[in-house]
Amino acid sequence: MIKIESSPEEIYDIELEHSLLEANAKLAEGNRALLDRNGITAIDFMGAIGSGKTTLITRLVEKIKDRIGVAVFNGDATTSSDADSIAAYGVPVVQIATINGCHLDANVVAKACAKIDLSKLKLIFIENIGNLICPAEFPLGSKARVVVVSVTEGPYMVRKHPHMFLGAQLVVINKIELAETMGVSVEDLTNDVHKLKPDLRVIPTSCKTGAGIDDVVLAILAV
Amino acid sequence: MHELSIASTLVESVLKFANSPPPKKVLKVLLQIGEFTCVEPEQLRFCYSVVTQKTAIEDSTLEIEKVAAEVRCPHCDYAGPPKYWEDALAAAPVATLECPTCGNATEATHGHDCTIRTIRYVEQ
Repeated sequence: MIKIESSPEEIYDIELEHSLLEANAKLAEGNRALLDRNGITAIDFMGAIGSGKTTLITRLVEKIKDRIGVAVFNGDATTSSDADSIAAYGVPVVQIATINGCHLDANVVAKACAKIDLSKLKLIFIENIGNLICPAEFPLGSKARVVVVSVTEGPYMVRKHPHMFLGAQLVVINKIELAETMGVSVEDLTNDVHKLKPDLRVIPTSCKTGAGIDDVVLAILAV
Repeated sequence: MHELSIASTLVESVLKFANSPPPKKVLKVLLQIGEFTCVEPEQLRFCYSVVTQKTAIEDSTLEIEKVAAEVRCPHCDYAGPPKYWEDALAAAPVATLECPTCGNATEATHGHDCTIRTIRYVEQ
């Protein structure tokens, strides 16, 4: 190991104020500007693996696709199974394979935007990687970030991942038909969300029975 | 593990500075991390030591300084430290966006930093 020894007068401190998250934030602003110019609203869905992000997006696509142009960007570490199941509904789907990446970033979203015809679209749903920590630091250019939690993830899911909720505009509590079986209270989860951010809207849903899906559609169309 | 991508961006920036004329030896990098970010200092330090291996800044140290969260309330004009959630079962109280005075939603004004504050170096 090389050691540098010098007298104090030869040591310099340079002040930089250089933000490490700025490069992504600028790309996200670029995405937002591109989408705004095309009259498109992007919604980013974040949540744990198995919380029901893909199924929720599929239900929303079913309800919306005949009314307005919608496309889906599907972030997935390796497989295209989620992208394939949504593409079956006849909407444009771009699969973003992150391989070992734990989050989407604004750069891959910019590339996905370049892959599709934006002129016929009003909405883009972006499904983030199943991860409740990393995506919080990387805005993508969406107008709203939705966190999907399900009752099967246990009673402390919200308080264990505060950062994800602090930056969200909507929370969906999914799989409510299993709440009783799981012994998990939807009300307690909702209270936890409001302890972190009092004005954050929470919509309980069941993709199985269809409960709450229309409310999510209305909330998204109002963004 | 977003600490690795943050460490990579950090090392890239510091190397760019170190390699710009005149030749410099970087001793220490001071990074500021906000309380509202979810960047884990210990993991970031580990990633920094891995990413700097076999580079010109291999012997430099990374110092991490926490930036306290601050909020502003649009409802009652409160400005200052956030309300902390004390019994959230977390290792430390969790900074929230609930206004400490009126209970409505506040906006974060400080605590989202992930910034290189200073680089200490000697000219070679």
